[in-house]
Amino acid sequence: MDLLTGLFTTAFLAGGVLALAALGEVLAERVGVVNLGVEGLMALGALTAIATVASFPSPTVGFLAALAVGALFGMLFAFATVILRANQVLCGLALTLMGNGIASTIGRAYSGMPARAVFEGIEVPLLSHIPIFGKAFFSQNILVYLIYIILPVALSIIMFRTRHGLNLRAVGENPAAADAAGIPVGLIRFAYVTAGSALAAGAGAYLTLAFVPSWSDGVVAGRGWIAVALVIFAGYRPIPAVLSGLLFGFITAIGFVGQARGWPVAPAFLSMLPYLGTMAFIIVPVLAWQRMRRIMAAPAAIGMPYYRDVR
Amino acid sequence: MTENATRFSAPPGTPPLVQLKGIAKYFPGVIANENVDLDVMPGEIHALLGENGAGKSTLMNILTGIYQPDAGEIIIDGYGKQFATPVQAIASGIGMVHQHFKLVQAFTVAENIHLGWAETPRRASGPVLEARTAELARKFNLQTRPGARISDLSTGEQQRVEILRVLARQARVLILDEPTAVLTPAEARELFKALRDFVAGGNAVIFISHKLDEVLEISDRISILRGGRKIATENTADCNPRMLAKLMVGRDIVLADMRQRPAGAAPLPAQPVLSLENVSALGDGGGEALHGISLDVRAGEILGVAGVAGNGQRELSQVLTGIRAVSAGRILIDNRPVESSNAAVFAESGIGHIPEDRLHSGLAPALSVTVNAVMREYRKPPVSTGGTYRPAAATALAKEIAAAAEVTIPDFGMPIRNLSGGNQQRLVARREMRIAHKVLIAAYPSRGLDVGAINTMLRYIVELRDAGAGIILISEELEELLNLSDRIAVLYEGRIIDIVDNDATDIDEIGLLMGGRTSVREVA
Amino acid sequence: MAASWRLQRLPSASPGIAFAARAAAIVLALTFAGIVLALTGANPLELGYEVIDASFGSSFGLEDLGVLVIPLILTGLSVAVAQQIGAWNIGAEGQFYAGAFCAAAVGLFLPWPPAVILPLMFVAGIFGGAAWILIPTLARAYGNVNELITTLLLNFVAILLVFYVSTNAWRDRQANSATRRLSAEIPEFWGSIHWGLPIAIIVALAIAALLAFSRWGYEVRLVGSNPSAAKYAGMPVRRHLITVMLLSGAIAGLAGTLEIAGTVHRLQGGISNNYGYLGIMVAVLARSSAVGVIFSAALMAFILNSGIILQTQGLTTSAVLAITGLILFLTAIGDELAHYRLARDKA
Repeated sequence: MDLLTGLFTTAFLAGGVLALAALGEVLAERVGVVNLGVEGLMALGALTAIATVASFPSPTVGFLAALAVGALFGMLFAFATVILRANQVLCGLALTLMGNGIASTIGRAYSGMPARAVFEGIEVPLLSHIPIFGKAFFSQNILVYLIYIILPVALSIIMFRTRHGLNLRAVGENPAAADAAGIPVGLIRFAYVTAGSALAAGAGAYLTLAFVPSWSDGVVAGRGWIAVALVIFAGYRPIPAVLSGLLFGFITAIGFVGQARGWPVAPAFLSMLPYLGTMAFIIVPVLAWQRMRRIMAAPAAIGMPYYRDVR
Repeated sequence: MTENATRFSAPPGTPPLVQLKGIAKYFPGVIANENVDLDVMPGEIHALLGENGAGKSTLMNILTGIYQPDAGEIIIDGYGKQFATPVQAIASGIGMVHQHFKLVQAFTVAENIHLGWAETPRRASGPVLEARTAELARKFNLQTRPGARISDLSTGEQQRVEILRVLARQARVLILDEPTAVLTPAEARELFKALRDFVAGGNAVIFISHKLDEVLEISDRISILRGGRKIATENTADCNPRMLAKLMVGRDIVLADMRQRPAGAAPLPAQPVLSLENVSALGDGGGEALHGISLDVRAGEILGVAGVAGNGQRELSQVLTGIRAVSAGRILIDNRPVESSNAAVFAESGIGHIPEDRLHSGLAPALSVTVNAVMREYRKPPVSTGGTYRPAAATALAKEIAAAAEVTIPDFGMPIRNLSGGNQQRLVARREMRIAHKVLIAAYPSRGLDVGAINTMLRYIVELRDAGAGIILISEELEELLNLSDRIAVLYEGRIIDIVDNDATDIDEIGLLMGGRTSVREVA
Repeated sequence: MAASWRLQRLPSASPGIAFAARAAAIVLALTFAGIVLALTGANPLELGYEVIDASFGSSFGLEDLGVLVIPLILTGLSVAVAQQIGAWNIGAEGQFYAGAFCAAAVGLFLPWPPAVILPLMFVAGIFGGAAWILIPTLARAYGNVNELITTLLLNFVAILLVFYVSTNAWRDRQANSATRRLSAEIPEFWGSIHWGLPIAIIVALAIAALLAFSRWGYEVRLVGSNPSAAKYAGMPVRRHLITVMLLSGAIAGLAGTLEIAGTVHRLQGGISNNYGYLGIMVAVLARSSAVGVIFSAALMAFILNSGIILQTQGLTTSAVLAITGLILFLTAIGDELAHYRLARDKA
């Protein structure tokens, strides 16, 4: 019993990081912009959270500060890719390099320090007494509800059942058609890329304020890239993206449990699980089922800058 | 031939619905529009005539707010307007159905209709939108399937969606850019009737076309653009084809009889040089795109392939050039069956290919002129000996091709996308002609070109035919096909409906075949 | 009407302007870095002088540069070669480690004389790099799975693998996190610079020659630029994609081999100084030209070396990474802006 509860608890925590980052990337990619800077944004968010909390011991403030920093760098990225229309892949890689570099440099002062204030678990009366699942989900910190329930459901409704969602999806599918229909393509791309970047940074904050919870160089360890891959696997939809994150949380949790219980597999190999798992998840479905190609198809205009007044 | 029962007559002194004054627009190296004046009265169908590249689409893109004019004014109902964005033009009652539809392929009809529309309800789920779409279709009397995905619709159906979308936004000025390019003659007539009904209510239509007959049939007045400038505006009743052609091109054009053979030419051989026997092929989506196609072409003959775009032409040209494998049947070159589909082998066998979309399939836009020019002959000396590739020899070959195409190229190392569309097409044509000893497959060779360029292209084709090659000409321009082909095959939904002798048929019969009617000669 | 100016976008940027844009990006980034340094109290000009003096003023400095250039040329070449076929190889870092791993296996465990071991190490390293990119290559070729992410994910796996092996299975008893010295090494030819440098340069030049002067090179360039046109001309698109991507992995594997056989002489956790990622920068600066890679690798080596020199001043290699990111960012912007020109109204 203890094992299962522990497994689930870790899964929700670890998965939360990936889920939040994946949600942010869904926003960006749905409007046609590939943001490969998620890894760097997570590092920046992680560091901002720790640094802020060291001065203002409130995890909420730390989280909000991370969102702000993410939005700031997101705007920089959006300016380059949406307004100046520079190559999205290169700008994303640059953002990752810059984010990692800046976070590592400033982070030396905070290395190894545990977070001064973390997101504490809240016991929901009644619900938290459900065996295994109740303890795992309903005794978690408040962000868990945001990440697993509020955000994915809200974003799903907005994206697929509202007028605004129709317009924003059109921007990602065919910006020329959206433009001709009167939709402000540049504005929508800018706004959603910024919002997505903020969420990515928030995921980093979640890492250092709830999951680990401390900062060290390389703490993000490729989770940003896994999140980008998960978005493809989830067919660019909010709810599947969050569920994929949870799935990965499980894989990570299994690795931890293995290490803790002294399984005869070296920790290094258990650490490889998330990366190998991600690869399997984006390769196998496409090769196994032809139909998956259509389901996992990206918004048609993804990655392409939109020029209106150019022949 | 333009009178109808109900005509809208504007009270005297009514300002034009749309007035353009002194519009100018420049692109790098090109004057797209200069000093253009245009006015469109309520109740009128106003045709904008001009060859490809004359500036018609640019002008309309300015009127709909997609481009900003570099000079000039736009006046709607007597009030000066500036359309910084398309949404402002839509708000002023301007609606445009573009030549390349601005539809989101992955969305349904209903979703596309409601895109970017202020009247779309905030809660916009599938069923809600579909119900509203059905309502709109009823109101404007346009048949459509609200729940269907655009990518599953025919081009004619997609056009109806575009028109419905524009009408739903209460457009008073409907702009149509080359609308009949994707319609059978019968569908075109239905469209014309719908347009007549539209203007009877005091609205106006701007009809962009390069086809003289169409323009004479449907419009009340015609404005001719040439080289980005407006040459004249005339009442249709005062016009005839010869005069319009002269205004469009700026000189008298004499249509040579392309079908005439040079004196002493040998009669056509009995054996075909290329034939398809019951060939079927799968399309990209997995379904069958071609079913049981049988056709052949002989040396010195032009076989035309007619049909509305999207009925398998692309797959047919790919099968004929070895790019696409056949799933059934066989291909024979000089009566010998081909082993398997291999584009390089087909090219070596003397089959050239002017592709449908030169920038997408026939050229690498970012690479140099030289690299593109030698794409067919790089395997042979002098360009390559053994495994090596000699850039100097390649450039020499490229210069030969450019000279034959009469294209001046300042720098053979520059990306080929820097050249104009007409120049690119001529280079591709001459490149293919060099290897097309047996057959040339030409798919829509005149698409997007101006009359001068089209003439050159057709001259090349005739030249090649007289040199002894067979030509398969796939085209959507019926006039062109009737002008050039000895026989015409009609492609419909992946099947050859019929193959008719040019001398024994006319445009009406082909029009019927294009619409799917199997050949039954109507007794008048 | 008075003449007015307008901004026009051309379909292609002229090479001269693109080059100038890159130079401007680098200058801007370094200036920005200088400003940040100044704000933290250091004197950027003094530091700059110190860096130049340390790099070029002594033979030790030049040797340090030379040693850094070797892996950068090859990882840059690896990314550039993949770009020629239109693929993004972000996994050069992992292929570097994989190459080093395989070469180390040969160098540690095969009991033959160095004259035999050394060439075998090369073979093993090249094979290791190619093997490490194999799965992403096949996934891309047959499933159209984006190789950018798959190659990158394997980086983490490779790093973990080498870490594990050098701290456990293959660990030298006296060391903490490294293997014992390999039984063969690449001889030095100038100070501490080993023959790996001429090898790297020759490989780059050979690839450049292959791309420009062979039929295969012509086809590869066409496939990379427009696969549809390549199909139209009857070229084997998938076969070229696979060959070139494997070549790209092999080159990165060679980089790893040269590093452990020539510079480090043992396998350990952090043998790569982010060479794989910096290789992306090298390739982008060189516009994916195999010859250009040699020069941009030299520039990148200088930047990396400066970071190492300035460690005494409190600068870390992560700061160098951040500046590299900024250069990449400004280069991407510059590349796009290079398409624009101001045109006068044709009045």
